[in-house]
Amino acid sequence: MPDLQLIAPPPRDELIAQLRGRLGHAVPGLRVLAERLLGADSTIDFVALEPTGRVVLILVGDRNDDLELVGRGLAQRAWVSARLGDWTQLAPNLGLEPDAEVRVVLACPAFGAEASAALRALGSSVMTAVTYRCVQNGVGFEVLLEHPFAMDPELAGEPVGSTQSSTPDSSNPPSFRTGLSDADLGLTPEERSEFD
Amino acid sequence: MPRDLGDVIHHFLPQDGNGTGPDSVTGGPRLERPAALPIISLPIGDRDVVRAAYAWNLAVEVARRGASATLLAPVSAEPSPLWPEPGRGPVGAEVVLADVNDFGELNRAALDIAVGRAADSGDGGVVLVSVPPAWFENANEGRALMRWVLLFAAAEARDLREIYGLAKRIIRTNPEARVGITVHGVRRIGEAESAFKKLSGAAQRHLGYPLTSYGLLVDDLHVYRAIVSRRPIGLEHPQSRAAKALRDVARMLLEDARMLANA
Repeated sequence: MPDLQLIAPPPRDELIAQLRGRLGHAVPGLRVLAERLLGADSTIDFVALEPTGRVVLILVGDRNDDLELVGRGLAQRAWVSARLGDWTQLAPNLGLEPDAEVRVVLACPAFGAEASAALRALGSSVMTAVTYRCVQNGVGFEVLLEHPFAMDPELAGEPVGSTQSSTPDSSNPPSFRTGLSDADLGLTPEERSEFD
Repeated sequence: MPRDLGDVIHHFLPQDGNGTGPDSVTGGPRLERPAALPIISLPIGDRDVVRAAYAWNLAVEVARRGASATLLAPVSAEPSPLWPEPGRGPVGAEVVLADVNDFGELNRAALDIAVGRAADSGDGGVVLVSVPPAWFENANEGRALMRWVLLFAAAEARDLREIYGLAKRIIRTNPEARVGITVHGVRRIGEAESAFKKLSGAAQRHLGYPLTSYGLLVDDLHVYRAIVSRRPIGLEHPQSRAAKALRDVARMLLEDARMLANA
C-alpha cells in the first residue's frame, strides 16, 4: 500500500472539483446550489444551503490569499444578502431563508495572523475558515479539510453547518450588527410592519 | 433639515476633471473659532467592521478637506481589529481610543477632545465618536453625544428596522437631537432613495420626527479591500465611486458642522 504524501494543490479546476465532493464533510448537510457564480466583481466558488435554509458562500484561495479572501468574502456576502429576496422569488422551492444572515466559508491552505484577527472580529456566524491539504493517494489525490480555529472559542463559537438558525426565535433572540436584539428595539407591530 | 439624495446624484453621472486634486475647505465665510468642535455620534457594534471602516474613512475625508477630524472609540478589553493604531494617521486624521466604561465617561472624553481640538482647528472640524449601541439605553438628553447622531443604514429590511429602532431610542431620549442617515451597501441611487424614504416616512408617521439624509455610500469592492488593508479608500482609490460618495458625506457633515457652529 503506497504511503500517503502531502502534495502541492493541483490546478484550480481540479481542486474545485475535489472540494465539491468534500464540502459535505466539512459542513454537514450542506447542499451546493451553484458553482462559479458571478458575484460582486468576481466569482463565488460555491453557493450552498445549510439545512436551516441559510445561504453559505464558499470562496477558495491559494496560499497567501487569506487576507484578500476576507475582503472578497465581505463583498460577496453583501452582494448576495441584497439579492436573497429576489432569489427566493425566482426559486421558492430551494428552501432559502431570506431573513437568515449569509455565512461565508473561506478555504485556504493556511490563515495568517491578520486574517485570523479579521475573522475573529467578524465572528463565526458571519465568516469562518477551513484549511485544505492535498494528499497523494496512489495515482490520485484527496483533499483534506480541517477547521483551523476549532480550539478558538471566538471563531468556533457556532459550528459550521450548525442547525441553529439565525432567524428570529424566542429562545435565541437574534442580534443585529449593532449587537441589539429585536426586544431591545422595542418597536410596535405597526412600526415593524413598515419594514416587512 | 430637508435634504435630498439627489444632492449626490452627480457621482452617478459622467463628470469632467479627475477629482484627485486637493479638496478645498467647504465654502462659506470662515467662522470664528468655536469653543468646541461638533460631536457626531456613530452607533457601531463591537464587531461591526464595515461601519467602523466607514467611520474611519469619513474621518480621513474630513481631514482631507482641511478640517480637524478625530475619531474617538472606547478601547475594548481585548485588542480590537476594528480600529487603526491610535494617533495621527493619513492626512492628519486622528484616532483616539479611550478607556471608558459607560456612556457618561465616553461623553466626557468626547467633550475633552471637542474642546481641545477646537483651539487648533482654524478650518473647523468634527469629532466622530463610535458609541456602543447598547450604551444609548442609559443616555440622557443633556449629553453631548445625544445632540447629533449619524446612523449608517444598509438597504435591507432587517437593517432598516434596526436603524429605525436606534433612531427611535435616540429621539425619545432627546427630541432635539439631530439624527442623520447615511445609506450604505447600495449599488444604485434608487436603492438608497427607497431605503431613506422608508426610514424617514416611518419616523415621520410614528415619531413625528424628520430624519436628515447624509447621502449614501456605495457598495464597492474597494470598500472591503480598504477594510482588510486598513488603507483609506479616498487615498488608495480616489476615482472609485465609493471614494466619491465618502467625500460627499464628509462635505455634508462639515457643512452642517459649520452651520451649527455659526448658530
